[in-house]
Amino acid sequence: MDDKLKNQKVIVYDPELCTGCRHCEIACAFKHYGSVDLSKSYLRILFNGDNGTGTFEAVNCQHCAEPICINVCPSEAMGKDAETGWVTVNSLKCIGCQMCVYMCPLAVPFFDEERKAAAKCDFCDGDPECVRHCATAALRVVSREDALKSNKRLYLSVG
Amino acid sequence: MSTNDIRIFRFDASSCNGCDIEILGILALGLPLDELGVKIVDAPQEANTLVITGGVNIKSEAELEETYELIEPPRRVIAIGSCAATMGIFKGSYSMIGPIDEIVPVDLYIMGCPPRPQTIVGALSDALGLNIEGMESLLETPEGFRGEPVVNSTKCIGCAACMHSCPAGAIEIDNIGADRIVKFTHKDCICCATCEEVCPSEAIELTYKDKLWFVDKEAAISEATVELKQCLLCGLPFTSSRQIDWAIKKIEEKLPISQEAHDQLLHNSSICTDCRKKSINGVKEAKKILVSLALRTQ
Repeated sequence: MDDKLKNQKVIVYDPELCTGCRHCEIACAFKHYGSVDLSKSYLRILFNGDNGTGTFEAVNCQHCAEPICINVCPSEAMGKDAETGWVTVNSLKCIGCQMCVYMCPLAVPFFDEERKAAAKCDFCDGDPECVRHCATAALRVVSREDALKSNKRLYLSVG
Repeated sequence: MSTNDIRIFRFDASSCNGCDIEILGILALGLPLDELGVKIVDAPQEANTLVITGGVNIKSEAELEETYELIEPPRRVIAIGSCAATMGIFKGSYSMIGPIDEIVPVDLYIMGCPPRPQTIVGALSDALGLNIEGMESLLETPEGFRGEPVVNSTKCIGCAACMHSCPAGAIEIDNIGADRIVKFTHKDCICCATCEEVCPSEAIELTYKDKLWFVDKEAAISEATVELKQCLLCGLPFTSSRQIDWAIKKIEEKLPISQEAHDQLLHNSSICTDCRKKSINGVKEAKKILVSLALRTQ
């Protein structure tokens, strides 16, 4: 992994610190759409409602090193910034085929009916609104290297 | 001398004048209208053919009815342009009443936004028996002309990009049972070729054909049928299976991933986004795929 990729800023989520207050969702929807409609938020908090164990999981863009959304996009609307590494969608180029919506393992991009284009996390120019409003620091901005370590521990149960 | 007796009265219901200019353009073709027996008359009483451009709005409604009544039967009504057939770009405007056929019966629709003068003459010769023998060279379709769109049913992946990009709203997509039907309605089409440009599978072609006139506007369609994919968990159809296959193929080409990750991705793409948004375990599995993909770049 080269240095640029290593130092890329990503959002990391710690389910142990999350209280499920959903302030991140409100902040995101309000920043990008000026509304508190949570379905417009670029990240989602999932609740384990079935057995009431009270666990949460955030569905947020990982700004992957080799993003699946970019690789399936037929119109080159999805792009990874060469400097910052953020994966964003150009809604003017987007043709609305929804390939990214179906192929992203986390289904992060969603189809915005008003813009008739895909919409997804844009990292708020380096200062994500969700992270700013996370009271317990369950969402943090860290380098990709640190995020990978933490994610490996959480999801692959190693390290 | 021709035996034709076509006396045209023009009526502008609410047109933007694009179609009217194209009608004027017929003069530039150099057709001997007098010899062909075509006359443009100044009063509806003298006419037997009513040529209408534009949709009907609150101002033109009563006037159109009145004009139609003043023409002696047998009379013919020809609706020129998308607006006359479907209200076109004025659809949804506060002042619009409806397309022409809501007020008076229409015998022929000439499609286009606007139709070419040649198309209008072609339609008149076809429908009204105007004899233009020996003058066909005047009506030739130019190089690179964009006519009616035709969708290739074997190539279409049913992704709906065309529907979302179509500025005229001429493309409808319906999920009926286990099939998705992609329907191009020529009555709304403005032949802009945006669908052809965006189609990821190159299934749409704007044909060279400019015979854009129809007696039944609803029958003027081009259709493709694709199979829908059922969600592994809830069993409901969510998108076309060809779209997922297309995307998987593209990932295989561009992103050489391990067999394990490939299988996981395949499994993941068989689950609808609604179900994926519900299950915590599903999200954890998905994050596993992404972490293992990220480890590959280390």
